[in-house]
Amino acid sequence: MRVLTTSLALALLASPAMAADFSEGSTAKSWNLYAEAPAFFEAKVVDITCEITGDCTDNCGGGSRQIGLLRAADGVLVFPNKNAQSGFQGAAVDLLPFCGKTVEVDGLLIKDEDIQGAANIYQVQKIRETGAQEWTKANTWTKAWEAKHPEAAGKGPWFRRDPRVNAHIAQTGHFGLGLEKDAELIKELFE
Amino acid sequence: MRQTVQAATLLAAALAAPASAAEGERIQITGEIIDTWCYFSGVMGGPDAVVGSAHHTCALWCSAGGIPVGLLGEDGEVYMVLKIEGDDENASGDTNLNLASHEITADGMLYKRDGLNYLVVEQVVTDHGITNLNHEDYGVVPGFAIPEPKP
Repeated sequence: MRVLTTSLALALLASPAMAADFSEGSTAKSWNLYAEAPAFFEAKVVDITCEITGDCTDNCGGGSRQIGLLRAADGVLVFPNKNAQSGFQGAAVDLLPFCGKTVEVDGLLIKDEDIQGAANIYQVQKIRETGAQEWTKANTWTKAWEAKHPEAAGKGPWFRRDPRVNAHIAQTGHFGLGLEKDAELIKELFE
Repeated sequence: MRQTVQAATLLAAALAAPASAAEGERIQITGEIIDTWCYFSGVMGGPDAVVGSAHHTCALWCSAGGIPVGLLGEDGEVYMVLKIEGDDENASGDTNLNLASHEITADGMLYKRDGLNYLVVEQVVTDHGITNLNHEDYGVVPGFAIPEPKP
């Protein structure tokens, strides 16, 4: 019995490390990131603010709140920081249609022991409800942005046309240090 | 039997850990509002390069794009920001965007779960503005953040 008890205790203590490898079954594409690991797992889609603080809203905040993945295997709250698109888009818009549902996700987990806090960070590449066959690619952010900003239609990537970003740059410059300093630094950069 | 009870108690404690870990504690902390994906992933370089004035334009892009915002404390820890002064729009919200790259002193509640710190900022005690002038070392990160001026 003592052996059984010890084994159970060791298994519990060891479970975080053992649970860290979710590469089996993953078909996630590498982004050649230093600390990436492919990760396919089942999870419940949750509003992170609700999960952490108990302050909950309808529909996971409707896209204005970060959305998390409560992993089924070990109860760990995984934080998707990034969707599957290249560029500067988070994952909340892509995960929102699955709020409250149990899903399977595939993507890249980031765990970098050289950077404090870099654990259970995720780049989600595709999502599907558990039991479904078809995947939904996590690449819908840009279309949602275009629908929200018809006045910003035009050539080039969204981030060069975003009205809020451009208003900030127009006010304080690319370095955020004021327009006079900005002009001086840009002149130095391109000389 | 005693060992079985001990094992069951240990198991119950382990299962209950996430709930107890999410209890908050009041803190006051100073640090920079950063975009967490660039910081954690290393996609654009080391952690010293993806903060501050060098990375300000990218920090605006990421915040507007809904990438989570964090407060990089003087202790080197990242605190994932859930709310700032009642604004719960932590995905692409205006308050986060307005504070991109700024050093702030924040008073609020800290929660810890599964290796991450979470912060509800109840008050921005001081907004110090952009104080990390790392463009002097790194120029602009990424390099394409500033288009070459047209002649």
